Amino acid sequence: MADLVKDKPQKHEKKVEKLPTDGTRSKEKAGRAKDPAITAPGVDEQGDDQGTAGMMENTYQLGPSGQFPVSAVSNILKEEITNTLQEEKYEAQRCQDLTLTLCEGIRNRVKELLIPRYKTVVLVHIGQLNGQGMQISSRCLWDPSCDTFTSYSFKNTSVFCSGTVYGVYFE
Amino acid sequence: MEEYQNGSEGSFSSEEAESIVKEGIDGVLGGDDYSQNHVNKWTATIVERCLTQLVKLGKPYKYIVTCSVMQKTGAGLHTANSCYWDTSLDGSCTVRWENRTMYCVVSVFAVAIA
Repeated sequence: MADLVKDKPQKHEKKVEKLPTDGTRSKEKAGRAKDPAITAPGVDEQGDDQGTAGMMENTYQLGPSGQFPVSAVSNILKEEITNTLQEEKYEAQRCQDLTLTLCEGIRNRVKELLIPRYKTVVLVHIGQLNGQGMQISSRCLWDPSCDTFTSYSFKNTSVFCSGTVYGVYFE
Repeated sequence: MEEYQNGSEGSFSSEEAESIVKEGIDGVLGGDDYSQNHVNKWTATIVERCLTQLVKLGKPYKYIVTCSVMQKTGAGLHTANSCYWDTSLDGSCTVRWENRTMYCVVSVFAVAIA
């Protein structure tokens, strides 16, 4: 309780100080309005994509504030893959580019969800349908209470696609 | 990140991971031909072996290991990955392997803890 009271005035402080980045700041605040305890006084961890593992103050938070939104991410995956590949025929160069674009697209949309303290890994396979057999499997060493994944496979007459998003909690 | 690469020392060593993975694949797929009945077991064994070897390195990382085995029929396959993480600490490594009848692609992602 004391934490909340302490954090609130400092949050206001930050808004005033960092004027140039005000746009992003207010967007982030909106996303995390429910959970002021995350914001470390005086230091912002979230806005820094480069992820400098520099000096950070303790937040005394032991676990994720909210679960990784599996259903939202599943929908993103499903939409992106279906919309991109619905009418595609397999062509080597085009599919190579599509794989990369799809990957980046999915990652950017998941980033927009602004899930605090989660790192994401997106994996996409696109292949030609030629009557071959294929097996894709994965194993993870992580904390199953916080970390999770979701995947989606798609097939049309000439192309198949398998996409997976892993969400890993970072303290 | 579009393809595997991470050269930062003192963090994730992709060379080490690569050799671990290569050993894992050779040990399992060695001289075999693609077999629908066995492929499930093969992929499971490969990922488990890679994971246990990676854990033995004793580094403070969470690992994700993915393995794809595909039969050679002249079909094309593209794989890509994109990661949102701390580039100074985290890394990945992808190994492509093939024999006469199949392709195998194994990816290892290492995500730092704290």
